[in-house]
Amino acid sequence: MKICLSGLYSGTNPQPGVGIARSLRAAYPSATLVGIEYSNRCSGIHWSDLDDVILQRGWEDIDLESYALSIQELLDSGALWISGVDLEIMWLASVFPNGHPNLLTPSAPALKRISKPAVEAHRGLPVKIPEFISTTASDWDLHAFCRQHGWRVWLKGPYYEAVRTPSWDIFERFRSVLSEAWSTDNLFLQTHVTGYEESICFCAYQGELVQAIYMSKRELTDEGKTWAGEVVELPQELAAPLRQIVRDLNWTGGAEFEMVRDPAGQLWLLECNPRFPAWIHGASITGRNLPAALVERVTRNKANKLESTSDEFTRVVLEIPLRDGFPLPSLAEPFPGAIGHSLKHPSGTLALAERLQRLNIIEGNATKSESESVARERTVQRHSRSNENGNGNSNGNGFHPGVVTPRLESPRVPSTFIADLNNLDVKSTPTPSWLFFERTAASLFKQASELAKKLSSPDLRVTNGYSIKTNPDKRLVRLAFDSGFLAEAISLGEVQTALAVGFEPGQVVLNGPGKRWPEISLPASPIHAVFADSLSDLSSLIRSLEKQQLHAQLVGVRLRPPHSGSRFGISIDTPQAFNALVHMIETLPRKYRFGIHFHMASSNIGVRQWWHLYESMLRWCHAIEELTGRPIECLDLGGGWFPDDWHFKSTETFESAISRAKKRLPNLQEIISEPGKAMAQPSMALATRLLEIDDSQSQIKEAVVDGSIAELPMHFVQPHRILHQNSSGEWSPLKRGRTRLLGRLCMEHDVVAANVELPSHVQKGDVLVFCDAGAYDRSMSYDFGRG
Amino acid sequence: MTLVADKPSMQMHDLDSVDLRAAIDRWQYAPSSAFTHHGRRCCSTAREWLFATDQSQLTGQHKLTGPRWLLQKYKWGPSQWPMTWCRAVEEKYLDCGALAFLSRTVFSARSVNSYSVQLIQQYTDFTTYQWSKKWTDHPASTHWIYGALIYHEVCAVEITPNEVKVWDSSAACWINAKQKPGYGSVVAMRIRYDNAKRAKLAWGEHLVTTDEWHMLGSRKHLAPSIHLVKQEQGGSHAR
Repeated sequence: MKICLSGLYSGTNPQPGVGIARSLRAAYPSATLVGIEYSNRCSGIHWSDLDDVILQRGWEDIDLESYALSIQELLDSGALWISGVDLEIMWLASVFPNGHPNLLTPSAPALKRISKPAVEAHRGLPVKIPEFISTTASDWDLHAFCRQHGWRVWLKGPYYEAVRTPSWDIFERFRSVLSEAWSTDNLFLQTHVTGYEESICFCAYQGELVQAIYMSKRELTDEGKTWAGEVVELPQELAAPLRQIVRDLNWTGGAEFEMVRDPAGQLWLLECNPRFPAWIHGASITGRNLPAALVERVTRNKANKLESTSDEFTRVVLEIPLRDGFPLPSLAEPFPGAIGHSLKHPSGTLALAERLQRLNIIEGNATKSESESVARERTVQRHSRSNENGNGNSNGNGFHPGVVTPRLESPRVPSTFIADLNNLDVKSTPTPSWLFFERTAASLFKQASELAKKLSSPDLRVTNGYSIKTNPDKRLVRLAFDSGFLAEAISLGEVQTALAVGFEPGQVVLNGPGKRWPEISLPASPIHAVFADSLSDLSSLIRSLEKQQLHAQLVGVRLRPPHSGSRFGISIDTPQAFNALVHMIETLPRKYRFGIHFHMASSNIGVRQWWHLYESMLRWCHAIEELTGRPIECLDLGGGWFPDDWHFKSTETFESAISRAKKRLPNLQEIISEPGKAMAQPSMALATRLLEIDDSQSQIKEAVVDGSIAELPMHFVQPHRILHQNSSGEWSPLKRGRTRLLGRLCMEHDVVAANVELPSHVQKGDVLVFCDAGAYDRSMSYDFGRG
Repeated sequence: MTLVADKPSMQMHDLDSVDLRAAIDRWQYAPSSAFTHHGRRCCSTAREWLFATDQSQLTGQHKLTGPRWLLQKYKWGPSQWPMTWCRAVEEKYLDCGALAFLSRTVFSARSVNSYSVQLIQQYTDFTTYQWSKKWTDHPASTHWIYGALIYHEVCAVEITPNEVKVWDSSAACWINAKQKPGYGSVVAMRIRYDNAKRAKLAWGEHLVTTDEWHMLGSRKHLAPSIHLVKQEQGGSHAR
């Protein structure tokens, strides 16, 4: 009996070939095991259980047609083939569309139905799919997804690789890397699930389940790979649905459902691998030899049974001698000055992905064969398909025979942006220039004001405080005043700005570590509220209040959320620090109302996380009130809200939050929110002009604008919707593409947009408007390179 | 304690040869650890700090998430008893009883039914010798060590009515109910129930009557042997 095994890579992210060989050798001592590999760098070729190794050329240059014929011959001669390489499996499925009795890998339709992240075939199993979104969505929607999930998200490649992306700039960097590596824009972001990793592993033949087991990971490598595990029989509640799934898929070969069990006991399905896992021999030594069971089923040759001594396995690292005739190749020269010799994917897996895309076997950018009309039709079909699992936008990825390059979506742009632009003579505006979106700004302030009024009640006033530092433009400060906002200042200079616009001292909230800077006089009338940023700040404030150097209606403290890494606020990380705070609050003169302030930008930590923080802060406030006997009359929630998260949140969410606050803090009379970013960001845009377009190739790779990172210093924190006006005067947003927009500065990092698509008719001198720039882009922009 | 070969080779004791009954008798009346409260604000502040910190640490995750942060904040080590709340939260090292009590308390604050659990675990004389020395040097009581067996405190949380998981706060992990006998394994457990009436609680496949010592696993199953022998060259290795 001859069995061919591929997937012999045995590095830090091993393939299953060696494990399969060990399992088969134990069951069939006299079988001929032939290793198939595409690189002599794969250490698995030296494993002694293999009788022979056929070393093919790497996937970059192997002739696929003749290779397919030779595999056909091999299978026809009676040899079995068990593949341990996902892309090879996909290729073989296309070579043998009707299968082959000796090819122990799944078919094309089956592969399609297990493609991640949706894993359509999972239905029936008691698992959920973590929410996901394809990276073909607009950057605006991708950023929203990340915020929604607290930036606890993974960027995943279509076949391999997953990277945590805790911020936008990291996401952009790795998206570029993975897109380039796998020649596809169709990656996906998936939310992280915390818990313990478990797997269902099974083998089947032509739709009949042969054997299935359940593995719980008990030790993991830094890369999250299994290092030790516990294997048991598949629980009955999983066996029945699995049997049905296998039947529906007409599955042949090994497979693994990788899952995470969360603290509540819910199983989350991450992906289904269409092959045995790398740890498969660990299961064999517990007495559950799935590769042997599969071969036994196909050949009817009885397999020797492995005696099991335990339900658990672990791994060690082994040094082994080389196989005769396969000396070690030389190590690749490191790049000059670089670290390491890494040759990831030595067998050319990346090249295989590209080749399969060109052959229309899998989806990706390398595909070029569909006409535009067919492409449009397929795009329409995809967008009209309902979201069946409700867990996110599922374009699926991986195996899609004959599918075109994925269409990248454009961001939605508020109609007020267009209205504001149409009211401005942008064409005559010198650039780079800031544009004030009057209508947009007015509607945002009005909306926020109306919401505050709606949420207020006779015994609890909800107010907005405009964060002046976000953008001190007088037009915005004036709008805040006219809309009944308070003014939130972090310096006496900002207090002066507020007073100059018309705010009374009693409408000013003073925050931050530098609140007494610069040394100018404070208003004689009491300011609305002052919050201490540290214990020494509080001590100083109390002295100033006693000496009548400072007058305030309300005095409070800013709390630093525990273990947040924030530098702001009074620490409560240790019982000693908390104790000190409690004692100091007791020294605050009783004639002042007392309040608590906390602030973590939800745009940084995520919306969900912000609400958890809110709940935990209510807990801290309650504790402080109980211990000090000091009623908390004001809660200042800070700002940092991304505009869409603030303006489009349902009223019920805020009403419920206020109700919970009242329950915890019965003396509460005022809640202040400080939506600076939410107001300012959409209210201003930067108009720039194209200085130069590199159209030397068929696709515009680079273009230079007269704007720069000096005007957009926060360009890396969030996406900006960029609008271009066509010859008819219509504004439309740029889609994602392959063009880099370079700034005017002579600085390597002056890249104001990394991946946009300029319209084909674009010309030098055209205006590009960078929207969503009214917050810290505007306020932190600086003069540079202007002479 | 030395590693020289003329000493008897150290091995995991066959449970049949270990006087488990004597160990149970030794700890029959051991109470579950608990802090005392001064009745003053110092201890109230400590408790409030603990509950609020736990909620901050939980970051909205499920209430059955093990409070791993406790072991990050407090290293496992000898403690002196009795201990008040205000002193306990300021310590750098806490023993298993203190950590178990803290865990039990935070689970309760999360509205999770939780119970004190007392365990007898099996180690080797080598291991318990080291612990004994450390505790003696501190100084703290070594009542919890009996040869190769130790008394250990953890907590159980109810996951469904009458079914529990057991959280080992000294190791920040859930104890595997399907554990294999051997080094570190639980050989007996007692779940303390705040109820006059005894109950049967399921822990994995074990059905444990509360407030009674329950022996786990087959007493005939030999734990794997770890023999330490001296090499001719003078070193020693595990075989």
